[in-house]
Parts: sequence; C-alpha cells; structure tokens
Amino acid sequence: MHYALNKLAYGGLLILGVTLVSFSLMVWFGPDQTYTLIGKNASAEQIAEVRQQLGYDQPFAMRYGRFLVDLVTLNLGASNSSGEQVYSILKKTIPVTLALMIPGFILGNLLGIALGLLATYKKDQWIDRLITGLSVTGMSISFLVVIIFLQVLMCTPYGLNLFPVRGWQVTDLASYLHYVTVPTLSLVIIALGYNTRFYRAVFVEEAGKDHIRTAKAYGASPVTILWRHVLKNSMVPIITRFMFSIPLIVISGSLLIESYFGIPGIGKVTFDAITSGDQPVLKAIVGLTAVAFILIQIATDFIYKLVDPRIA
Amino acid sequence: MVSDLHYWSRLKNNRAGLAGLIIVVSFFLLAVGVWAGLLGQGWSAAGGERWAPPGAEAWFGTNLLGQDIFQRSVFSVRTAFEIGLIVSILSTALGAALGAIAGWYGKSWVDGTVLWLAGVLDSIPFYLFVAAVAFALQGKPWAMQIAMIATFWTATGRLVRAEVMKLKTREFVLSARAIGLPDLLILSRHVLPNTLHILLIQISITFVAAIKTEVILSFLGLGVQDGVSWGLMLAESTQEVLAGHFNNFLAASIMLFALLMGFNLFSDALQDAFDPKQAAL
Repeated sequence: MHYALNKLAYGGLLILGVTLVSFSLMVWFGPDQTYTLIGKNASAEQIAEVRQQLGYDQPFAMRYGRFLVDLVTLNLGASNSSGEQVYSILKKTIPVTLALMIPGFILGNLLGIALGLLATYKKDQWIDRLITGLSVTGMSISFLVVIIFLQVLMCTPYGLNLFPVRGWQVTDLASYLHYVTVPTLSLVIIALGYNTRFYRAVFVEEAGKDHIRTAKAYGASPVTILWRHVLKNSMVPIITRFMFSIPLIVISGSLLIESYFGIPGIGKVTFDAITSGDQPVLKAIVGLTAVAFILIQIATDFIYKLVDPRIA
Repeated sequence: MVSDLHYWSRLKNNRAGLAGLIIVVSFFLLAVGVWAGLLGQGWSAAGGERWAPPGAEAWFGTNLLGQDIFQRSVFSVRTAFEIGLIVSILSTALGAALGAIAGWYGKSWVDGTVLWLAGVLDSIPFYLFVAAVAFALQGKPWAMQIAMIATFWTATGRLVRAEVMKLKTREFVLSARAIGLPDLLILSRHVLPNTLHILLIQISITFVAAIKTEVILSFLGLGVQDGVSWGLMLAESTQEVLAGHFNNFLAASIMLFALLMGFNLFSDALQDAFDPKQAAL
C-alpha cells in the first residue's frame, strides 16, 4: 500500500512536470494567438477583449492553472484551422490509429521475442551471428527509407502493385487488411532490429544464471528451459519494453506512417497541427499523451507485481 | 585497473568494429572536404536537366529541380556531422554534468530533482517535444538541435549517476575527500575521468540517434531549414519515386545507411572493448 501511494505521488509529480513543460513551450513562449483569431485590422478594444479571453493579461501561475483544469475536464477548445472541437477530433481519429498500429506493434514484439529466443538457443553458432548481424543492419536503416521502399515495392507499378499507395477506406475485414498491410510491414521491419537485439540480450543474460545450469543438470529439455525458465524469468524486462514503447510507437510511429500514407488518424492530425501551427490541437495532444504515458508507467509497476512475486 | 592499451588491443581485434571505424573516418574525411570547400559545392545550383540519368556531368543524375544529386548527397555528409557532433557532444556533456551531480549528492533533493527532470523529459513524446520547441522558438533553425540536446542527455545522465554512486565509495575518492579537496575538484579531476568509457559509447550512440532523428524531422518540416541533408533529399524523393525516379532516394538512403552502419558497428565494438562481461554474455 505504501508502495502504491509512493508510485502515485511520483506519477503526480511527473504529470505536473510534463504539463508545466508543455504549457511553457506552447502557451507561455508560444506565438501570440491574438491576430490569428481576429485578423489584422482590429480596434484596440477588440484586441484587449480577445487578449482577455485568451488569458494573456493573467500571470503565469493563473494561466498554467487554467491549462491544467482544461486538460482534466477535457475542455480542449476548437481547432484553429477547421473550427472542429478538439475532443471530437480525438474521438474520431484515435480508433483509426489504434487499428493501424496494434497489429504491427504486437507482431514486431512477438517476432523479436521469437528471434531472440532462437539466437539464445543457438548462441555463438552461425544462426545467432546471422540474427545479430541482421539486427544491426535493421537498426541502421531509417524509418523513412523503409516506408518509401515498401511503398514503391508493394503499392506501385514499379513493384508488385498490390496495395493502395495511400488512404484509408476501411469498411470490412478485407478492406482493413488491404490498407493495413503495408504500414504493418514497415512497423515490423523498423522495430524488429531493436527488439531482437534487446530481447536476445535479456535472454542470454538469463540463460547464463545458475538456476538454468541446475535445470540443465536435471536433464530438462531445451524447449522447457527456454520456455519455462528463460522466458518466464525475463517477463519484467519484456513488459517494461513493451509498455514503454507504446507511446513511442503510437505517437511517433503514427505521425510518420499516417502523414506518409494519408491515413486520418491521430498522427496525421498531429502532423497537420504542426505544419499549420494549430495550438489548441497540439496542446491537447502533448498534454494528453504525456499523461497517458505516465499512467502507463504506473500501470506497468502494478503488472510487475502480478508476473513476478519477487517484486515487493 | 586495466590499462588503456588493453582496451585498444581488444578493439583492434574486433574486425566488424574496425570496419565501422574505417567507414566513419572515411565519411568524416568527406565532411572535412566539404568544410574546406573542395567537395559538394555545387549542391544548390539548379538549372540542369530535370531527372537526368547518371553520367559524366552529374554522377548520380539530377533531381526534380535539375540539381546534381551526387553533389547534394556529399554536401549532406557535412550536415550530418554538424548535427551529429553538436548534438552528441553537448547532450553527453550535459548528461555527464547532471548525472555526476545527482550521483555525488545521491538520495538528496538535488538527485531527486535531476531524476524528476529526466522522467519528465522522457515522458513527452519526442517529435511532439520538437514541435513544441520549434513552436516556442518560432521557426529558428536551431530548434531541432536544442530539442535533441534537451532530451538525449537523460540516458547518459542515468548511466553516469549510477557510476558516480559506485565510484563515490572507492578509496581514491575517499582519500581525496579526507585531505579536504573541494567537491567540484574531486568530481572533475577524479570521478568524471573514470566515466569516460560511458561517455565515449554514449557519444557514438547519440550520434546515430541524432542523424536518424534529423531525417524524420526534416521530412516533417521541423528539421534542417537551410542547406541540404539526407532527410531533405528523402523528403524530396517521396514525390519522385511515385513517378519512377529513384536516384535521389537511392543516393540519400545508401549514404545514410552506410554511415549509420559504420557508427553502429563501431559503438558495438566500443561496448565490447570496455565491458567484456556484457559482451561475453
């Protein structure tokens, strides 16, 4: 109980920090929104009125407080460019992003774990060297290069021409598979190098421990050892990596994939907001993703205790 | 204590690592050539034939605007080193300084503040942080570098902090304290030099991260503002490849891959040389 309270308190401090940073960068030091809202030829009273509405006449602490209250109550305002409520934009686009990213995210981790186990099993043999070498190669390829290459290979007449170049017209399972395949492949390729290398290092370390030697001495089969002893005892680092890469993959990955393939998810919204300087949208996304990340961190701590009784 | 010679001999026997080092040094020489004004100077000259095939005039052909792709991809080596060196050295130095202070005053409010700051920065999705910094700086060309330095130090900071906490209890540090040397002197003269291996590895890891990040940011319009980089070339090529012109894409992605691979091989070898226990696992 004491542990849980500590974690929650630290999470609260982190949320305060993150919102403070995003508020300072985007609102306090950010561009003055007065003229974007009322145009160039406004009277002095109009300007004063808008500035008061925006809270520009208030001190830092007051404006930060208001920013926090708006975030907590999901009072996110309307987009500067489309006029649509930010809340309804998020509600519409987040499911698209989840449908787009989840298959690649899960596949990338499962394949990484499988290859890591295989490399550990065949450690220092040619197959281990091949897997390690391919991981370093994968780590040296840029995300953007993978996306461009796969698009040309899978979606244009210069390659297989099997999938759509861009867009997202999903109505049923067939159309979902049609649109999700190429983005999923790029996600898997880009994550696999890092994942395999990480999981291999974790498994190899676990396989070097005394309890594994004991299990071997008792005549346990390699499959039992890998499955029951190595994999199970590596659950904590696996969960850490899995959970901590969620915000990275979902936000950074979708930003690139969606803006490249023209898919109307949260990443595309973010990209458009960046290029057009749409402050209310950016504010909401930075604030909410950071809070979500911290909630994930807290959740991760509780999952540890479920899978590993050694953690008190 | 193992001598420096010992590390070098381990590094020398790592063939992949040496190959990586040779690649990195070759690229660095290209960058020096560009700095000296000998190479890649015609990178921005437009007016050639659009999408000309590779030939004696333009070795890798020309892009959409008729610019020489070879000149552009060579000039981009300089851009890559400028970004990579500035970001990796400054962010590692910042991480070393904050990590050392946190480790030295471990379990105090100083330590807590540094850890909290690192936790906060790690919690903000990176590209959004860059967007926010670019927002605050209103289009100044340094937004990208500042954002990278401000976030990349956290990994180094945590590693140095842990190492300093270990070193703090060692006899040579205790002796230095016993004869009354000031904290700052002990830290800079006796403690930090013993973390050099961590810093070296971190510099080479953050160099890779900086170049990879530049590519994505330049594509998103948040990266290199003037000049040319592999990221900008790839961004250009996204239109060209759909029309069947691959020279720009191939030149930028092969150069980028070669440099990143060189750095990755080299930093792997560094880690093996300095930490044979980890390598043997």
